[in-house]
Amino acid sequence: MISVPCPWCDERNSAEFRPAGESKKRPDVATTTPEEWRTYLYTKSNLADWVTETWYHRAGCRRYFAIERHTVTNDIRTSRLPAAQIRLKESRG
Amino acid sequence: MAESRRLTPQPGEVIDRSSPITFRWEGDSYQGFTGDTIVSALAANGVDIFSRSFKYKKPRGVLSATFHDPNCTVQVDDEPNVRGAHRQLQTGMVVSPENVWPSLKFDARSANQVVGRFLSAGFYYKTFMKPAKLWPVYQKILGRFAAGGITRADAEHGYYDKRYIHVDVCVAGGGPAGMAAAITAADAGKSVLLVEEEYDLGGHLRYGSADELAALARLRAQVATHDNIEVMTNSVVTARYDMNWIAVIQRQPGISVKGHEIHERLCKVRTGTLVVAAGLIERPYVFEGNDLAGVMLSTAVRRMINLYGVLPGSRAVVLTANPEGDACVDNLIRVGASVTVVDARTGGNVVRAKGGKRVKSVELADGRTIECDLVVTAIGWTAPVPLLNMAGDRPVYDKTAARFFPTDRVAANVLVAGALTGDGTTSELIAHGAAIGAQAAGSPVDVTALARVAHPEMYRSTTHGIVDYSEDVSSKDMVAAKKEGYDSIELVKRYTTVTMGPSQGKLESVNAVAIMAEAHGVKDLNEIGTTVWRPPYVPITLGALGGRGFENTRFSPIQPWHEAHMARPLVAGDWIRPEHYGNPAAEVTNVRTNVGLIDVTPLGKLDLRGADVPRLLNLLYVNKWLKLPVGGVRYGVMCAEDGVVMDDGVTGRLSEHHYMMTTTSSGAATVWEWVENWLQTEHPEWEVHCTPVTTGYASINVAGPRSRQLLRRLVENVDLSNEAFPYMTVRQGTVAGIADCFMWRIGFTGELSFEIHVPAAYGLHVWERLMDSGQDLGIGAFGVEAQRIMRLEKGHFIVGQDTDGLTVGYGADLDWCIKLDKDDFAGKPELVWQSQRSNYQRLVALQPVDPTVVPAEASQLVEGTKSIVGRVTSSRMSPTLNRSICLGYVEPRLATPGTVVTCQLPDRSRVQLTVMNGLAHVDPDGSRMKV
Amino acid sequence: MAVNGSNAGTAGTTRPGKPTAKYRAKYSAFSLIKHGLTKGDWPRAWRQHELRKHYDVVIIGAGIHGLATAYYLATNHGITNVAIVDKSYVGSGGSGRNTSIVRSNYLTPEGVRFYDRSVKLYEDLSADLNFNIMFGQMGHLTLAHNDSSLRTMRWRAEVNKLEGIDSEVIGPDDIKQIVPYMDTSDQTRYPILGALFHPPGGTVRHDAVNWGYARGADLRGAEIHQQTEVLGITTDRGAVTGVDTSKGHIATGTVVNCTAGWASLINAMVGLKMPLVTHPLQAAVTEPVKKFLNAVVVSGSLHVYVSQTDRGELVFGASTDPYASYSMRGSLEFTEELAGHVLELMPSIAKMRVLRQWAGLCDMTPDFSPIMGFTPVKGYLVDVGWGTYGFKAGPVSGEQMAACIAMQRVPELISSFDLARFAEGRLVGEKGAAAVGH
Repeated sequence: MISVPCPWCDERNSAEFRPAGESKKRPDVATTTPEEWRTYLYTKSNLADWVTETWYHRAGCRRYFAIERHTVTNDIRTSRLPAAQIRLKESRG
Repeated sequence: MAESRRLTPQPGEVIDRSSPITFRWEGDSYQGFTGDTIVSALAANGVDIFSRSFKYKKPRGVLSATFHDPNCTVQVDDEPNVRGAHRQLQTGMVVSPENVWPSLKFDARSANQVVGRFLSAGFYYKTFMKPAKLWPVYQKILGRFAAGGITRADAEHGYYDKRYIHVDVCVAGGGPAGMAAAITAADAGKSVLLVEEEYDLGGHLRYGSADELAALARLRAQVATHDNIEVMTNSVVTARYDMNWIAVIQRQPGISVKGHEIHERLCKVRTGTLVVAAGLIERPYVFEGNDLAGVMLSTAVRRMINLYGVLPGSRAVVLTANPEGDACVDNLIRVGASVTVVDARTGGNVVRAKGGKRVKSVELADGRTIECDLVVTAIGWTAPVPLLNMAGDRPVYDKTAARFFPTDRVAANVLVAGALTGDGTTSELIAHGAAIGAQAAGSPVDVTALARVAHPEMYRSTTHGIVDYSEDVSSKDMVAAKKEGYDSIELVKRYTTVTMGPSQGKLESVNAVAIMAEAHGVKDLNEIGTTVWRPPYVPITLGALGGRGFENTRFSPIQPWHEAHMARPLVAGDWIRPEHYGNPAAEVTNVRTNVGLIDVTPLGKLDLRGADVPRLLNLLYVNKWLKLPVGGVRYGVMCAEDGVVMDDGVTGRLSEHHYMMTTTSSGAATVWEWVENWLQTEHPEWEVHCTPVTTGYASINVAGPRSRQLLRRLVENVDLSNEAFPYMTVRQGTVAGIADCFMWRIGFTGELSFEIHVPAAYGLHVWERLMDSGQDLGIGAFGVEAQRIMRLEKGHFIVGQDTDGLTVGYGADLDWCIKLDKDDFAGKPELVWQSQRSNYQRLVALQPVDPTVVPAEASQLVEGTKSIVGRVTSSRMSPTLNRSICLGYVEPRLATPGTVVTCQLPDRSRVQLTVMNGLAHVDPDGSRMKV
Repeated sequence: MAVNGSNAGTAGTTRPGKPTAKYRAKYSAFSLIKHGLTKGDWPRAWRQHELRKHYDVVIIGAGIHGLATAYYLATNHGITNVAIVDKSYVGSGGSGRNTSIVRSNYLTPEGVRFYDRSVKLYEDLSADLNFNIMFGQMGHLTLAHNDSSLRTMRWRAEVNKLEGIDSEVIGPDDIKQIVPYMDTSDQTRYPILGALFHPPGGTVRHDAVNWGYARGADLRGAEIHQQTEVLGITTDRGAVTGVDTSKGHIATGTVVNCTAGWASLINAMVGLKMPLVTHPLQAAVTEPVKKFLNAVVVSGSLHVYVSQTDRGELVFGASTDPYASYSMRGSLEFTEELAGHVLELMPSIAKMRVLRQWAGLCDMTPDFSPIMGFTPVKGYLVDVGWGTYGFKAGPVSGEQMAACIAMQRVPELISSFDLARFAEGRLVGEKGAAAVGH
């Protein structure tokens, strides 16, 4: 059982979380093409390396957050708020 | 019965001679003492043979006298594969040998020993290919050779338990180094878990000299003074997973649940540091006859003599290459055995052992043949490295010391203490353990490494013998396999099954590597490498792993009423719901005629508040939400980003900034996460607060033409008239004296209906009041089945039943609902593209031409012999129409109303179904519910 | 395409089906006795070779898919100038780590036809390969614990029947007859309502399939290069020109990615990204006990499948781990959950012990179907994305990929498994009833 650092709750057993996969940016619906949209839906980098993922603290604070996890060792090196929340914070100073 | 081999009391013995225990073995009654293992008690009674070998059915006796002894696995009562050389005797145990037929003394299949030369490793891959028809027969015969004990279909599951432990330091191994590590870590104030596989702390000191016993007594006393050391004996650190998540199996922990003794307990430990102080395991020697009963390891002999007071043999030949072997010689002499010493350090060697049911003589390298009843080998050690392996290490072989050692590749939070790292006297081992313990506690200490003492490299004599006792694999088998091309250690393991049996290679894995090195003609075992150790280190019962069942089970607050009224339970995910109360068709008719109540508490409910709720709804649902007035209710469908129908339900606006969303029961959790996902990762700037209130309200649907009449008797502060409270609106008020209820008029059943949501604690009260008040109106409860029939009559689809994982919005007849002129909503691009195509199957209502036939759900619609053109997704007999009705999918060209399609039923007969106009079979205009 | 359209079948070509190796040891009861008497050595099951500078086809991955592809290239198409390269030993990946279940009771007609071809090939494989793969067709039960899974079982059964597959929904009493240890009472947390029963389903000895294909391919001229890691794939103007390995460069116009777990990393060598996510799939085995379970039992709701080997061990699997990972270290929660669920089905075996757990890597696709055939890079073919069902498809995949390479067009049987389906929104219908489906 790996231990996942939640930005709100600190280290918790991974069973408390739902991993939501590689973090991706949603294309602009107004201009998207089938190819771009389905790449967003289906195609994965699937790296054997550090990846940025979204996790959801299902049995805890119910917050989504982003971590950097190494997919070979399962080590986790950073944990932060979702990108949209960081952008919002910055825009609000 | 043979004569007793019990010795006079020995200095370190663990048996209590004042406490005899009677048990049964092979049908006869035997006596041992408290503290005896099954095998030590039997051996004391003169029993030599405890099992037959897997393949050749050769008789087998004690080898290592430990848990890992591959020859001493027995059946105890209804428990298979008990390690007889470890399990302590208990009164009344019924013990029998495994893998023997008809008996241990005469095993009919031991004829295999004669034909053994034809049963080379992997022989079964090379025959029985033709005729293919006969293979099942051969396979049955092979199956009879399966090793192991017996299970019973009616055996009791028993009680099991689990425990979570958080400690600073966990020490695996309670020998001198492990105890010392625990003591120093505890001295530094750390919490320590000290885990020992045997029944007592001490490791090899327990069967050692007077000095060693004295050192042991001192260590035990020190451990006992520390409140912050928890000692677990008869327990094993059986696995280490990522981030020092440790599995400790505690056997027979002496704990009872509900009066039942717990058989095993799984302890899940998150430890700061894991100290591996597992000691060393003595390694068998490969030579002809090395699996005869009476051929034993030196540590086994010392255990039998010193711990259990049992004489393993009276005329012994001891092949010794180390001080432990010499100590074994001393022990044997001390208890009166005659001993011939063969010193490997000066070139002595054993060539082969001979005998029948027990060893009778041994042939030495110097040409002598010596009559004996015991052959002892002390030729070196296997380092038990599995935990280190699981922590990332790949141990390296040291030719001089003739064993594997850990490297610094092991994870930083795992330390190694004691004999795994080198050799030393008792005090050196203690000093090393103490230093590692200090390190584990975070103290900066210099650790003096233990020396690696030179040891002869001895793996195989000049003859071939057994490498894996539990799998009956010989060195000859391995050499042959290598020549056949199965030439890596992993391939030879898979081909010969060496190290794959119940002992998992704990005794023999290094021998296997050495035999491969020899076969390859390489001197360095590192060139062969080792196989990767997989968890668990020692086997764990399914019971301990499974523990007690803690599956979620949810009941509505109205459950007592359902039970009192004989509701048939329906398992619906976490929820248990009433399927019906005896007659679902009558329940339908009653709702359509009078009034009925259904408990819909499992309906997912999300309380949404904030100025931006309309924007959220507009984004999640395919239809429009910006203009829903206060008091309004609307039905909506959600699609995922791939356009696939995900959930549906109604959402109402209770006040300016307050909405209540409902979801399907099974979709409640998913939709909540979906809502949070959009709010947190896409639109954190929106002001929306989402609270799940599914279980905060009991939900009761009151349906039927008399529902308004009923509610007028119990509802306060709400005008229930159709003008004041029309279809698809929501009102808040008091029901049966309970304030803070909200109710909306919706129509899943197709009747006039009010769905009342009551604070959960009052759910049963309101339900009972409704029931009481409606007696004269013909009120009756209805269950999920009646609701399903009515919704099918109305043509409402159920997400997940009438849609599947590929049903994109328009396929489910949602053209009326999907609004592509919205800027954005989940799944919009896919729905736009789908709207430009026509090649998807359509959801339609179907009616069998023969109204008495109800095609089973999932029956296929066909053309010709096998061309599938659709399927039935829902079907029921309609009590309202008195005919069968369906929903299903058809190819677009068949979707025109009036088209007749062919349906193949599960019994392969075929019936005709007519495609209907619209989805509703009953009251398509909705006139019954809008009154 | 790069090479095979023109010169495949020139170098090293023989009459299809004929073993080319000079030495040959036919396995039979007679040869076993002869070897037993003479104590002579058996010849190598497959040979070792020096890596040559050019092959017509280079197959990456010496698992069942790669080896079967090589075998059928030789037997069906006479293409024998083939190298199979693997960074480890034969069958070291998913092919040697799966739970060896074979069945064809899929949901979609195209899925059923494809896997049925595989079952048929498996049925004849021992004789074809002259290597006993120990196919035990003891029957396969997929349990349903709720209405919706019972409906899905019915759906599968009806499609199966139309495709001529022996497959039927049975009730709790029939299940109890087949598996007396099963708790079919309605007193359990998830009562068993019925099951999809598929008599031809069963298990195979997975290693034997790997070794049988390896030996068969070798006998017919293909070369197996173990411990030969692919480091890169060279291309020129969008077409494959060769493979860089840890043992040197190979020139070739045709490369087939037959890897599982590492498929994305190989794809990246030619600059391709596909809808693959690698998840560990764990399995475990118990100590042996006398045979008591005479069917493969699967429960999608309880995420578990179990069978008993001829050796008496129970072999378990579950669903894949929840997060993407290339780690094969295994986890405790997997065995805990698995044991709990197995005991819900068969409570009386609580005292059996789990002996060993392991993990393999599965490349999951969005529609629970593989990606097979050509790619935008000329000469680079894939047979990837096998999720948790690669083993059962091994023979048919090898046969079809060989045909694809030799004929330079996609055979009908695998046409719906093309890469382009994702961009074009044509996902395969197996997604319709996605669950644990072993």
